[in-house]
Amino acid sequence: ATLEDSFLADLDELSDNEAELDENDGDDGKEEEDIDMDMADLESLNYDDLDTVSKLQKSQRYIDIMQKVEEALGKDSDGAEKGIVLEDDPEYKLIVDCNQLSVDIENEIAIVHSFIRDKYKLKFQELESLVHHPIDYARVVKKIGNETDLTLVDLEGLLPSAIIMVVSVTALTTKGSPLPEDVLQKVLEACDRALDLDSARKKVFDFVESKMGSIAPNLSAIVGSAVAAKLMGTAGGLSALAKMPACNVQVLGHKRKNLAGFSSATSQTRVGYLEQTEIFQSTPPGLRARASRLVAAKSTLAARVDATRGDPLGKNGKALREEIRKKIEKWQEPPPARQPKPLPVPDSEPKKRRGGRRLRKMKERYAVTDMRKLANRMAFGTPEESSLGDGLGEGYGMLGQAGSNRLRVSSVPSKLKINAKVAKKLKERQYAGGATTSGLTSSLAFTPVQGIELCNPQQALGLGSGTQSTYFSESGTFSKLKKI
Amino acid sequence: MSSYLLKTLTKKEEIDRIIRDTIDEVLVLRFGRCTDAVCLHHDDILAKSATDVSKFAKIALVDVDSEDVQVYVKYFDITLFPSTIFFFNAHHMKLDSGTADHTKWVGAFHIKQDFIDVVEEIYRGAMKGKMIVQCPVPPERIPKYQLLYKDV
Repeated sequence: ATLEDSFLADLDELSDNEAELDENDGDDGKEEEDIDMDMADLESLNYDDLDTVSKLQKSQRYIDIMQKVEEALGKDSDGAEKGIVLEDDPEYKLIVDCNQLSVDIENEIAIVHSFIRDKYKLKFQELESLVHHPIDYARVVKKIGNETDLTLVDLEGLLPSAIIMVVSVTALTTKGSPLPEDVLQKVLEACDRALDLDSARKKVFDFVESKMGSIAPNLSAIVGSAVAAKLMGTAGGLSALAKMPACNVQVLGHKRKNLAGFSSATSQTRVGYLEQTEIFQSTPPGLRARASRLVAAKSTLAARVDATRGDPLGKNGKALREEIRKKIEKWQEPPPARQPKPLPVPDSEPKKRRGGRRLRKMKERYAVTDMRKLANRMAFGTPEESSLGDGLGEGYGMLGQAGSNRLRVSSVPSKLKINAKVAKKLKERQYAGGATTSGLTSSLAFTPVQGIELCNPQQALGLGSGTQSTYFSESGTFSKLKKI
Repeated sequence: MSSYLLKTLTKKEEIDRIIRDTIDEVLVLRFGRCTDAVCLHHDDILAKSATDVSKFAKIALVDVDSEDVQVYVKYFDITLFPSTIFFFNAHHMKLDSGTADHTKWVGAFHIKQDFIDVVEEIYRGAMKGKMIVQCPVPPERIPKYQLLYKDV
């Protein structure tokens, strides 16, 4: 019973906690609502209604501008009034608005695209990765609808044939299921919305393109008015385009291409709308990368001139175009012919000594070894050991010294011939060393006349007492002979 | 023909001038007639290698038929044509090619490379201060001839 009671008590505690949490939520309620509003764009999954997601078409601004654009497209363009400063020109204002609008439309298309994608995922998940372009995706979705068998659906003209094939094959193995009717309706509605936005965008572009000659004469002199309008539209205005660095201008409008198994080596990277310019199309394929960079750079310069209205006639643009054309021509020139070179003067160039690993390894064989290095050094204050002992023979230096864990020296008698002086000294020492002399030898010499005579046995051998110098010795040989 | 690249000298002053004025370069003087077949072959080789050795040699042709030049023909004892004589800084350079006459090269060179080798060898020897150098051409490519001394 007590256990049950404790459990009940726990439950009570929990409910108490919830009460506390609710109180806290009340205060934070407003913040959460705000957050929800921001998340609305991303979490359109939760929202079933398209209109809450895509509000642009209902907005007043959009309707106004589209009306004006239609009017302007309808009537022929009257002569540009050069008297008016650019900023006050109503047409220019319209162009600026159009640019801004085209950016907004693009964002809107992206939102609608994600809406469609999320809903259609249940039916055909892989389609999103096969067809990248939002408008193409919308068209394909509209065509397929709720159909399960893709052989009945004709996608010709919407997509390249390779992609159609891949889509049909993927559709056979997709794990999606047909959508319920109301979801399907919403999806189709969203597709229509996307296509409407796309056509509106096209209208805006056409209008801007027709006015491009008076808006940005230099830029359109280089890349042509269509491409200039597209660049301006994507950048969001002439001043925005002018502020961009040339490398960004180069890739404005770059489309992500679906490879579908094809090699990526042949695809052109880093070219956007500039690909459609006449200059680019007329350069040979090998020079296209360089040409695109050049055109991007010069068109950025032209855009900057136009943004400040520095050259209303477009002379600058024409000069830049001429410059581009000349440069591309120069690249295509063949290299200059080879002149026959005369031979160099004999022995004027010193032989080049090559280095490298092989040479170093060869030299290592003749280098001074560690053993020799140790033998060459000597310790201070200690006489060095030598091969024949006592300063004769070859000195050992630091070899075999106590405390060094390096090479030990073992005394092997050398087979080399020893100098006469050195041999004498050795023998002398041998006798003076003494421990190995026979016990029967004595220093006493018996002579018949004088009796016992003590004499030095070493003297008899001619070695002397060791204190005799070789310089003054009677038995010594000449140390130096000089021919007169 | 080949002599448009190479100068042809006909007067004594010209020869003197060219010997004096060629400094720090081997001077190659060919004595011969431009109509002779062997001379033509020789001239062709000289002309082709003229640009290659241009950094350290100068080549000139001497027409042996003019009268001014007879002095030199007698001095150098030139009897067979073409004969080539080498100078360096106005010194006469001798070439030991295994033949009897070291003062000149008699006959045509077989290939261009032989001629370039000879000129290079003369240059190296001269820069070291030698007056006579060994011929680097292998003996099978050296033209053979017999020297007659007073028809003996």
